[in-house]
Amino acid sequence: MKRVLSNKWSIAVFVLPTVLFFTYIVIIPIFKSFYYSLLSEIPAKVGDASEFVWFENYIKMFTPGRRNDFPGAVLNSLTYAALSVFVQLPFSLLLALILSTGIKGESTYRNVFFIPVVISSVVISLLWQRIYKDLVPAIYDLLNIALPKNGFLANKDTKLMAVYIPNLWQFVGYHVLLMYGALKSIPTDVIEAATVDGASAPRMALQIQIPMIKPMLKVCLSFSLIGSFKLFDTPWILLERANKQLPALSMYVEMFSNHKYSYASAQAMFIVFECLAFTMLLNFIFRDREGIESRKGRRRLAA
Amino acid sequence: MKKLVSLVLALAMLLSLTAAFAEDEVVTLKVSSIWSAESEANRKPMLKTLEEFEAAYPNIKLEVEWYEANAWKETGETLALSDSLPDVFYWNAGGVLWNLVGSGDILALDSYLTDDIMARMEPGLLADMTFTVDGKEQVYQLPYTKAASMLYCNTELFTQYNVKIPETWDELITAVKTFRDAGVTPMALGGGDQWPANMYTDIIALRFAGDAACRAAYYKTEGATFMTQDWVDGMAAFKQLIDLGAFPEDAASLTRDESEVPYFAGEIPMYVHGQWFSGSLSPEMQQKVVAVKFPAVGKGYDNQYMGGAAEGFSVAAYTEHPDEAFIAAQFLAENLSKNGYISGAGLPAWKYDFSAYTDLNPVMAQIKEATSTADSMLLWGNTALTGEDATLIGDTVYDVLTGEITPEQWCEDMETIFE
Repeated sequence: MKRVLSNKWSIAVFVLPTVLFFTYIVIIPIFKSFYYSLLSEIPAKVGDASEFVWFENYIKMFTPGRRNDFPGAVLNSLTYAALSVFVQLPFSLLLALILSTGIKGESTYRNVFFIPVVISSVVISLLWQRIYKDLVPAIYDLLNIALPKNGFLANKDTKLMAVYIPNLWQFVGYHVLLMYGALKSIPTDVIEAATVDGASAPRMALQIQIPMIKPMLKVCLSFSLIGSFKLFDTPWILLERANKQLPALSMYVEMFSNHKYSYASAQAMFIVFECLAFTMLLNFIFRDREGIESRKGRRRLAA
Repeated sequence: MKKLVSLVLALAMLLSLTAAFAEDEVVTLKVSSIWSAESEANRKPMLKTLEEFEAAYPNIKLEVEWYEANAWKETGETLALSDSLPDVFYWNAGGVLWNLVGSGDILALDSYLTDDIMARMEPGLLADMTFTVDGKEQVYQLPYTKAASMLYCNTELFTQYNVKIPETWDELITAVKTFRDAGVTPMALGGGDQWPANMYTDIIALRFAGDAACRAAYYKTEGATFMTQDWVDGMAAFKQLIDLGAFPEDAASLTRDESEVPYFAGEIPMYVHGQWFSGSLSPEMQQKVVAVKFPAVGKGYDNQYMGGAAEGFSVAAYTEHPDEAFIAAQFLAENLSKNGYISGAGLPAWKYDFSAYTDLNPVMAQIKEATSTADSMLLWGNTALTGEDATLIGDTVYDVLTGEITPEQWCEDMETIFE
């Protein structure tokens, strides 16, 4: 087996079907979308002749206008990304750290945290719709507090937050599980050595556990950021029809309601570039540190 | 023996060939229909129409796919991009239909429309289904119903709170105030879906600006504008209703289905909606509800209606069986028109003698009666307008509903469709 895998031709043969499939369903559509994004609008068939307008659709996306929602949508997705990174992930990490200490009912908690992840986003959205429309107003009524004008899902100051909360909640379990797995894979002798040395739980978390699971934190960060920029299903169900306050919603409405295929393609490309840029940024941030931290970890272990 | 075997084999071959030819004669057509939910008023009439078709045309097999209305609109537009629309399909008239006609997806039906067929259809209903392509004016759809926006009033609540069913704007305002003071939400509205709010703004704008101005604006004819005092007054009147608390507090986040639940439960006295709503009323509610024309504002446009022939069946331009597809589309349109009216789901678009039916939906009969003397009927703005213009009118009305823009800003925003 080892001999087979060391042969580059064998590897190529094994990898080829996946590469071809990936190219067909991911790479080619990206290039096609980029091509369409450079064309003028035509209310006709895909593939019909049209003229190149180069980056006009991209300029239009960021040209200020009273009803141009796209810059606002990008800002909203960045806000959501920030919430994911600075609220969701730290909270997930905290839960993972607590769980990994081997508390009573560890596996039950782990499963309970993971339940929202396996439930369809549509079900989650409908569940939260009832929470916002029935449960929360009932609580407000009980406490004699005035509800926001038009309700949580239609008030311009609350509706995006009302969409972010179910998403943040839903994927906490996912990140907990990833981080928990990484924490559990830390060699027990490291933890034992630190315990013998009298390290407190917070110190152990900050100086040993977190540095040692940084590769997994990077994975969680990537998933979290990319998920934020692509957020679609929950807001599509929870918010009013044709809402364009997030980039993916805007792209969908431009494509299927407004028939602006080229403009929607440009928005799609922006989302792709945005995800790529942030992934590269994360790679850059974590590039050298991974090596440094693992070396540091090994030194601590040796000490 | 050999001869006998040969004969048997020859006979078997002949039989199988005959069977094969008989099989060939059955044409299978793909049909897309809305009304996927059992609760839809048109669901049962459509099922009955399909049964009737099966009996009348055993050689044409219809394979029906059911969709929710909005889902089908989006799916249909996507299928059209790749020339994959089904042979026969439900579609809206006006600008939405023009989108597909303009892109060459819909078959022109003129060559099939005989004098006999035309004589069976109610007159004047093809205006929003007829388009000029390459200098030739042709029909691209057959209507199965005639639409109309009505004001549905629950007489039980009007009697209970001693309120007169409004015939004028002032009476409407009085009714709204009286109900609100009594702690009753005066009017149902599912603004989260956007288009139910357009039902209100369209009819109010029609009362203030009139058919000619609204038609010009919705069809973007030369010289049309939203920047007139009549349009501002119309939207201001809608704003007045919002400010008076005419709608539920969370109207902007309610879907149409959610908003109708309290109306069906007899908790809301008024609702402006299309004629199809009367088909969703239970037999008990049909006795309590009356459908009246929207109150007059005294500008001379009080007998005008929003509606007309707004929905129908079309045939895909690339169908392999255009003759059979036309037969199916025409049959579905004519017979759904009949079955829909009998079941109370819609106004008929085809002539039929209903005198034998004594248990017709009384609310639908009121609408049929009221619209029979209408001065004019105009398609709703979001149906007549296309693409981003249709999205814009939905968005902007929603923004007025949530208080994000003023009536004047609405007019300014809508004026951008002429740029």
